[in-house]
Parts: sequence; structure tokens; C-alpha cells
Amino acid sequence: MIEFIEGPLWYLALATFLVGVAWRLIVLVAMKRPSDLSQARSASGGLGGALKALIQHSVPHGGNLGRTLYHFVTGYMFHVGLLVLVLFAAPHVEFIQERLIGSDLGWPKLPRWAFIVAAEAAFAGLILLYVHRLTDPVKKQLTDIDDHLGVWLTFIAMLTGCLALQEAHDGLRATHMLSVEALMIYFPFSRLMHAFTFVLARAKTGATYGRRGFAP
Amino acid sequence: MTRTCRWPSWIKRYLTRAPIHGLPARRRPIASPFAVLALLLVLAGALAPDAARAQQLPDPEALKSAGSIATPGGSVRPPAGAVNLPDAAGAVRRPGGLPAVEGPIPPPDHARGNQSVTEEFWSRIRYGARGNVVLPGAESGILIQSAGEDWRLIRNEQLTRYGSMALLGVLAAIALFFLLRGRIKIHGGRSGRVIARFTLAQRIAHWFAATLFVLLAISGLIILFGKSVLLPLIGPNAFSIMASASMQGHNLFGPLFLPAVLAILVLFIKGNAPRLVDISWLLKAGGLFGGHASSGKYNAGQKIWFLLTIVLGLAISASGFILLFPDALVDRSQAQLANLAHGIAALIFITVGIGHAYIGSIGMEGAFEAMSTGTVDENWAKEHHDRWYAEHKGQATTDTARAEVEAGAVGDGVMHGVRP
Repeated sequence: MIEFIEGPLWYLALATFLVGVAWRLIVLVAMKRPSDLSQARSASGGLGGALKALIQHSVPHGGNLGRTLYHFVTGYMFHVGLLVLVLFAAPHVEFIQERLIGSDLGWPKLPRWAFIVAAEAAFAGLILLYVHRLTDPVKKQLTDIDDHLGVWLTFIAMLTGCLALQEAHDGLRATHMLSVEALMIYFPFSRLMHAFTFVLARAKTGATYGRRGFAP
Repeated sequence: MTRTCRWPSWIKRYLTRAPIHGLPARRRPIASPFAVLALLLVLAGALAPDAARAQQLPDPEALKSAGSIATPGGSVRPPAGAVNLPDAAGAVRRPGGLPAVEGPIPPPDHARGNQSVTEEFWSRIRYGARGNVVLPGAESGILIQSAGEDWRLIRNEQLTRYGSMALLGVLAAIALFFLLRGRIKIHGGRSGRVIARFTLAQRIAHWFAATLFVLLAISGLIILFGKSVLLPLIGPNAFSIMASASMQGHNLFGPLFLPAVLAILVLFIKGNAPRLVDISWLLKAGGLFGGHASSGKYNAGQKIWFLLTIVLGLAISASGFILLFPDALVDRSQAQLANLAHGIAALIFITVGIGHAYIGSIGMEGAFEAMSTGTVDENWAKEHHDRWYAEHKGQATTDTARAEVEAGAVGDGVMHGVRP
């Protein structure tokens, strides 16, 4: 069972993830849109607007700090914490080097204390975001099964990873891999795709408005 | 299995007559061949040159083969190859009978240098005597910290015994109460009008703390009771995995509990001060067995739960941090005390928390909504918190969706942009 999880199922999950994400992004970029008939205010307005939107929409702006402070803090706690864990946790770095690229990645591994801090931030952020989603009367109405599945799969993948932190039991490592594989297979078909599409969406919006001479 | 000394009885009597460093007579270790061998070694040491003396340490294997080493028994688990001495009754000595000896260990009167293997010498080490060493650290000179055995016995025997009794007792009492009383209904039925009760910030803090509470309680109970409950059921391999996972999870989620408790303190302290009406509420047992018990926004039971949450939550967090960073402690007795305090506080917290979870969900109609939607039915408010209702009855509305939004907005409109 462990051999299957760490062998064929891993490659199936990886293929589904890569092909699925690529397909979704290609479709999104290739999607036909009505052409913008307005006259461009400046030649570089589109690119500048895209960059400005990408940066500006990553921090509270326009007097929105008070209204978005909760999401700003918890959102960054979760996303930054998770990204750091995925890319820099020592077992992940070794796994990527051995199983994906076959050579030294060239970036440092997190020391244990940094791993704990990143994991604490990621868990606290995810729980706080989810609790808000469940209790806020407006957000609750906007939430569907896709959101619940995405949150739970992410939470379980993070949880099993941290439970296997001692790296002493193959069973715990296999459980973590299984949960990650489930997440990877589900990823392209869900709103988890926002991990990639947020760049395209913000850039497109920013470019459109930048071409017309104002920032959104 | 303990081997008994096969020496003639008059030799035994002679050898056991000497007082052994305060040990009660029934616990005096008998003078075994080990002690005789020690005397021989001392004698040999006196005759031999220093260089040779240094190489004549007693060899445990040789002592075993000579039939002088007892197999340790009881609850003390010695390291492999340990040397132990049975007493006259064959009983195993337990620590606690002797105070720790401070200061350097003087060599026994009849010993020379490191050749001494007399019982008194080893006995003092066994009971926590401190020697002179060049290594830094308060405990470097202590070979055996005997208080650890007291801690182990309290944790593994008394704490688990009384803790499991408390947990099972509460579960049985709740089940019995549910069978006899059933779910507490809203007597007047639902009115269709609701009143905002808890803000969005309060509900988020509550569920954040509750999520961590459940994760920590499950992992903590596995750590505390796993060896006695799970190990016989699932075997050592599965238990090893479960214990490792529980420990990692517990250590990871533990630090998050402190900010959760502090958030509860800040957001719920208003209205939780004791009042005279709480006494009559307690005398009527909150109306659980009939009759009406008057209360304000929080009844006496909720106030006690709030107080326990803060006190126990802080105690658990403080002791938990001590256990997370044992290297920062002066000696390990502090960690042992912190461990016991952590376990006792957690068991009380979990036991009372089960009651809180019951009455807030299946035990009482209309109670769960207060923490899920932030609103309560008007009749529920009238029935359970009549004084609070009297102050807020003007806010009752049939527009439940609007009330829910306003419940989120009261006091924290910034959270989703709706201001009251």
C-alpha cells in the first residue's frame, strides 16, 4: 500500500496536477474577449496598470484597511506560511531534489524552529479564515461544497504533514503523501486554482483600466 | 526474578545489622556478595599501586556471572546491564524515603577512590546525591534524579486513574441526564423573532478556541491514556505511530491556544462579572431540574465556565510552554511539576468542557444558534436570560437574515463592512 501511494499514485497525482493546471491556464489565456475599442491613453498604460494592480491589490489600499484588516492578516498568515512550508521545509526540499529534479535545489532548508513558526502561522490563518467563512452571514451564503472541500483537503494535508514531523514512521509519511495526492488531484478542478489565476485576473483588470488611464 | 543470597544465616545477620544511611529496617538492602566483593576490592586497592587501582572497576557482567546481581523488578526500569541489589525481603526500593543529599559525595569510610562499590555509596546516588563534576549545569553532578520516579508514579497511576474516572463519570452523568430529562425545549416554542446575542468577533474567537481545544484534547488524551488504554488494544506498532503523531500535533497546536484564550478573555469579559442573581441561579441549579432561574446575559454556570477557561487556559498554556522549552529550566523537577499541572488542569478543562459542549448543542434547544448565527430566539432569551432580554427586547425582529448581519456588525462592523 505504501509503495503504491509513494509510487504510481504519486505520479498520477502529479500528472493530473500539472496537466490540469496547464489546461486551465491555457484555456483562460486563450479565451476570446471583446476587443477594447477605447483609445489607449498611453502606450505603456496596459503593462503599468497590470503591475500596479498586482502590487496594489496585495495590500489594503484606498481606505480599505479597516474593513479588510482581518482578511489581510489571516490571509497572509496562511498563504505565506503554507508557501514557506511547501518550498522550504527540509523534508520537502529533500523530496523535490530526489523525486522531482534529481539534483540540488540550491536553496536552504528551514531550521526546525522556522518550520514550527511557519506551521503555526499557516494553521492559525487557515482556521481563522474558515471559521470566519462559517460564521459570517454574507460569506456563509457565498460558500459552497467546493470551498469546504478545498479547505478540508488543505487542512488535512497540512495536519498529516505536521503529525509526521518526527520522520520516524513510514505510515505517517504515507498518510501525508496520500492526503497531498488527493489535494493535487482535486486542485485543477476547484477554486484552489486561485493560487495561479489570481495573477492573471489582477493583471488583466489592471491592464484594462491602465489602458484607459486610471487605476482600479 | 530476584536471586536470594545463599550465605549462612549468621553471616546474613551480621551483615544486615549495620545501619544503612537512614533506610528503614524493612528496606535495608541485605549485604550481598556484591558488598563483600566491594570490600575485597577495597582491600585489593589498598595493596595495589594507583595505576592498577584505576583499572579495577567492578565489571557488571562479571558480577552477574558470580550470581550477585538481582534482576530488577517493580516499576523501576533500569538500563541494560544495571546492577541492583535486592533487600532482605526481596522487595524493590522506591524513591521518596530519603531526602536528596546536597553537596559532594564523600567516599565511604572503607572505600578508596573510584573503586568503591559499597551499598551506601550507590544508595546515596540512587536517592539523588550530588557529586562534583566539571560539566556546567545544575544537574550535571546528579546521576539519578529520584523525584522523577515520584512524578512518573503520580502521572501514570494516580492522574490516569482519577482522570479517567472523572471523564467517564461526566460522560455517564450526561448520558443519564439526557435519558431522564431529554433535550431542554423552549417551553413557549419558537417565536419566529430573534435577537442578536454574540458578535462576529466573539463567535470567531469562540470557534477558534474550540477547534484548538478539540485538537489538543484528543492528542493530549492519547498521550496521557494511550499507554494504558490504546496500547493493549492496537498493539505497539500502531500505538507508536499514534503516540508520535499526537505528540507532534499537540506540540504544534499548543502555542496557538494562548492567543485564543486571551481573545476569549478580551471579548467575553464584559458581562461575566459576578452578581447577586448568580447565587439564586446556582441554588436553583440553573433550572435544569425544573423551575425558572433568572439571569443576565450570562448565567452563573457560564460565568464559572468563563473563569475556568481563563484560569485553566492560562495555566495549561504556561505549563505547556515550560514543557516545550525544557532546556530553559534550571532542573528537571520543574518540568515534572509543569507536566503534572498541565495534566491536572487539562483534565479539569476537558471534563467541564464536555458539559459545556453538551448543553450548548444537543442538550438545549436554541443554544447552538447563539454561537453559529449570533442570534437567539426571543422566547429562548426570555426563558434563559430574562434580565438580558428585558434590556434588549426592543431589538427583536422577524427579519432573521438582517438580525444575523447586525449580530456580525455589532461592535465589529469592520469585519465585513456592515456598520450598525
